[in-house]
Amino acid sequence: MTTLLDSLPQKLGTADQWTEKGGVHWLDPGELSVRDLCLEMIAAHARFITITAYQLPKDEGIRLEYHWDLAGQLLGFPFLLKAEPSEDPKIESIYDLTESVDWIEREIHEEYKVDFTGRVYEPLLMREGDKLGVNLREIADICKPEPGPSGQEEVKK
Amino acid sequence: MSYKIPMGPYHPALEEPYKLDMICEGETVIDAKLHIGFNFRGIEHLAETRNYIQVIALMERVCGICSNIHTLTLCQAMEGLTGQTPPPRAQYIRVIMAELERLHSHVLWAGIASKLMGFKTMFMTCFEIREKIMDVLAAISGNRVNYSMNRIGGVNRDIDDPAAILAMIEQLEGEMMKTVIPIFTTSSTARSRCAGIGVLTEEKAISCGVVGPTARASGLGQDLRRAAPYAAYAELDFEVPVEKAGDVRARLFVRALEIIESCKILRQALTKLPPGEINSGEEKFKFVTGTATSRVEAPRGEVMYSVSWKEGSRNPNRVHVRTPTFANMPAVRWMVMGARLADTPLIQASIDPCYSCTDR
Repeated sequence: MTTLLDSLPQKLGTADQWTEKGGVHWLDPGELSVRDLCLEMIAAHARFITITAYQLPKDEGIRLEYHWDLAGQLLGFPFLLKAEPSEDPKIESIYDLTESVDWIEREIHEEYKVDFTGRVYEPLLMREGDKLGVNLREIADICKPEPGPSGQEEVKK
Repeated sequence: MSYKIPMGPYHPALEEPYKLDMICEGETVIDAKLHIGFNFRGIEHLAETRNYIQVIALMERVCGICSNIHTLTLCQAMEGLTGQTPPPRAQYIRVIMAELERLHSHVLWAGIASKLMGFKTMFMTCFEIREKIMDVLAAISGNRVNYSMNRIGGVNRDIDDPAAILAMIEQLEGEMMKTVIPIFTTSSTARSRCAGIGVLTEEKAISCGVVGPTARASGLGQDLRRAAPYAAYAELDFEVPVEKAGDVRARLFVRALEIIESCKILRQALTKLPPGEINSGEEKFKFVTGTATSRVEAPRGEVMYSVSWKEGSRNPNRVHVRTPTFANMPAVRWMVMGARLADTPLIQASIDPCYSCTDR
């Protein structure tokens, strides 16, 4: 019997099939826009869970993983955002399609300086004078533990 | 004429900082804006600087109420990256800890809700019961708040005498059935203070993506323990209480019924606790490159961890945490619209918000 999960790739117009890995059913959205994907997910009565942002090494950009729940199954759709060094990475906002993404889009905008186009932002975690894209990126070196004996040494024993 | 009333960041009901700017006309709230981030700790980033043992202790401190749930979800994700499968006894112990934590959280919430209703005797009763639940948690783990129970591949401590714990649970259940449950399900005080206020319709609950008791009180039957069972939940029999009204009373009702269900789960888990090891016995772990995700039904709703690792590294590349309050809190705007100003502290508290989790 064909399940909703089986029929989704065809509905989404992608040639790829689901790959189950790390507790998630992954599907490469290919050319599908994040907004079209969102509309299909809503039509399938899927529930939006979160977006996970990854800062990729060097100039590889940012990967956003959109997670949805479909009848208890966790779905994942990766989107790679590349931008010129002088520009901020961009992707269309889906806030007008499902308000459940509001806070996570605002948080990623503040932490990774991703521009979710087509929406207006209000500060979420930031305060007046705070700089976008700082929390998880530019303070990386400050937060590295001091060299010398640490918990890591204990693990080696 | 409309005017703005700022509530917070010091809140009348909760000890955690957030701010709700309410636009009022007379006594009626016509709109509201939420502000968080007053205690943002950057824990997700801090996790990238900790090794696979330290990160468990760190994530246990995301929340002071559901600390066990955070390590459970994290460990389940890390088990996906290390190929570890916890033994059956560990899976049952994880269920027991998770349900005790749910009881503790729901009873704590019931106490705060009682106080906001002006029902201070009930507040004291709830906190007395909560102390006893914490005694059970301490009897198992040796700790009252951060239990340090979960590890990659199982749990750290065994339950040596399940019969003694079962006796404590049965005594607790008896006390709750005499006090908390009847008062929250049948008392006219609770009904008159909570019925019809802070309504979140099923349609709005879907569009806001709310989770846990907040979703179940708005007619959504979602519960990961049933929809995507983890630990030993697939082997246990329980109901998922769902109410349709979407008001504060429905949220109260759902949590009261969940207390009964948690006791039912605890009785089964303690009776069926299988013999054997409590962890895989391994001390060193090799992570494969990739991302693993785990979800758990916390007392307030679904918690999700995405953990990314590079082979050979001792530290995670990325740990992303989606906490239930992060999903539930935006819905408060819709709950308070049209409400009387005096009801808004109780409405906000009705989702059992946790800003420690939200400002992780």
